[in-house]
This record gives sequence, structure tokens and C-alpha cells, in this order.
Amino acid sequence: MAALADPTRRAVFERLRGGPRPVGEIARDLPVSRPAVSQHLRVLKDAGLVTERRDGTRRLYRVDPNGVAAIRDYFDEFWNEALAAFKAAAESEGRET
Amino acid sequence: MTTQTSIEPVHRSVTVDRSVEDAFRVFTEELGNWWPVETHSIAKDAVETVVMEGQVGGRLYERTTGGEEHGWGRMLVWEPPRRVAFEWHITGVPTEVEVRFTPAGQGTRVDLEHRGFERVENGAERRDSYSSGWVTVLGRYAAAAA
Repeated sequence: MAALADPTRRAVFERLRGGPRPVGEIARDLPVSRPAVSQHLRVLKDAGLVTERRDGTRRLYRVDPNGVAAIRDYFDEFWNEALAAFKAAAESEGRET
Repeated sequence: MTTQTSIEPVHRSVTVDRSVEDAFRVFTEELGNWWPVETHSIAKDAVETVVMEGQVGGRLYERTTGGEEHGWGRMLVWEPPRRVAFEWHITGVPTEVEVRFTPAGQGTRVDLEHRGFERVENGAERRDSYSSGWVTVLGRYAAAAA
């Protein structure tokens, strides 16, 4: 779950959010080697944030929508809890007046 | 750029038995009184308060008992008592949260939208400076899902 802790890995991930890309293209505008990018992609894949598919001779990497949906689901619950706390606070505060 | 994964925003609403002005004030000025920091913060139990600065460009942050400040976001809209919006930096990639306060019967309906989960590209430099980032979010998600 520390998959996105590394800034370079996050940069790799960010470059995939515009659509599927091959390793070479991801590496091109990053100040790291291609093998390093491959390594980062492997970690992202293991974390369920990125998927890989073959396209002829090359591999294309893309953001796994399920992984990103998991983030959204997390925030569904996150805001449920925050708003419930807000409601409780708003309605109890100043009730005596 | 070819395909852009579209991700539905999070929509959550709650109706509180208070005036729009009160609801807005509790949500913004008194955030530190009700925000569930034990679970919904970076420093958890060490959080003393949460501050939302009431102006566009203002900061949203938690402050620990040791005086450390951890940024959560930046105010994009400040329209008391009807609407606030802020950049949410906890996602690593900044997303956006908008909160609207609407009269509903004797109370106020509070509608929250958290959007921009598909957001891309240009924020790379900015977001690299956010220490909390996705780690926090994913870690919590994992904990919640466990």
C-alpha cells in the first residue's frame, strides 16, 4: 500500500492517467532509466493500480479503474463518517439556547 | 492524450436541524470541534485542531499538539453561508471538494461533492511536494477494507 509513496512512482502513475502507454513513452519524459520505470510499473501492478496488456510486440500499461474506484469507495465512506460527525456536532451545539 | 478514465464524483448529503448560517459556521469555523481526527487525519490522536481559513486561497490544515501543521488543502471558493470549495491534497493528486448549504424545511441540507478522481498530468510537480499523498489514503482504505 506504499505503492504511491515514492515521488517517481507517483510520476509514473500520473503519466498513465491520460490513457494507456508503453514503457518507453513513460520513461521518455522522466529523469529515470527505462528499467527503473519498469520496476515502478511492477510495483504499481502488484498494488492493483495499474494493469498491463500486450499490443503486438509491446506492452501497454494503464490505470486500473478498479484500483481508482477503490479510492472513490474509500471516500464514500470517509465522507459518510465526516458528515455524520458534523450533523451530531451541529445539532448538539447551542441546543440549550 | 487519448482516453480519459472518467470517475464518478463522490456525492454525500446530510440534513441538519440548524439554520444555513449555523450549519455553515459549524462546518467551517468549528471544523476542529467535530472532524473525526482519530481516523480522518494524518497525525490521528496527535491532532489538536483542524483549521479552515475563511478566504479564497486560504489553507485547510490540521495542527498537532506539538504545533506541527499538516496541509489538507486550499480554499477555492468562499461564499458564506451557501458554498465553499477546496482543493483536497490528501489524494496526492489534488482533487476538489465542494460543499453547499441549502435551506430545507426548518433545517439545512448540506451537499458534498468530491470530484476530480480522474484528474491528470499538470499537477505532477505540485503534488510531488505533498508528503501525505496517496499513501495515507490507500493505507486507510486498506485498513477500512480489512
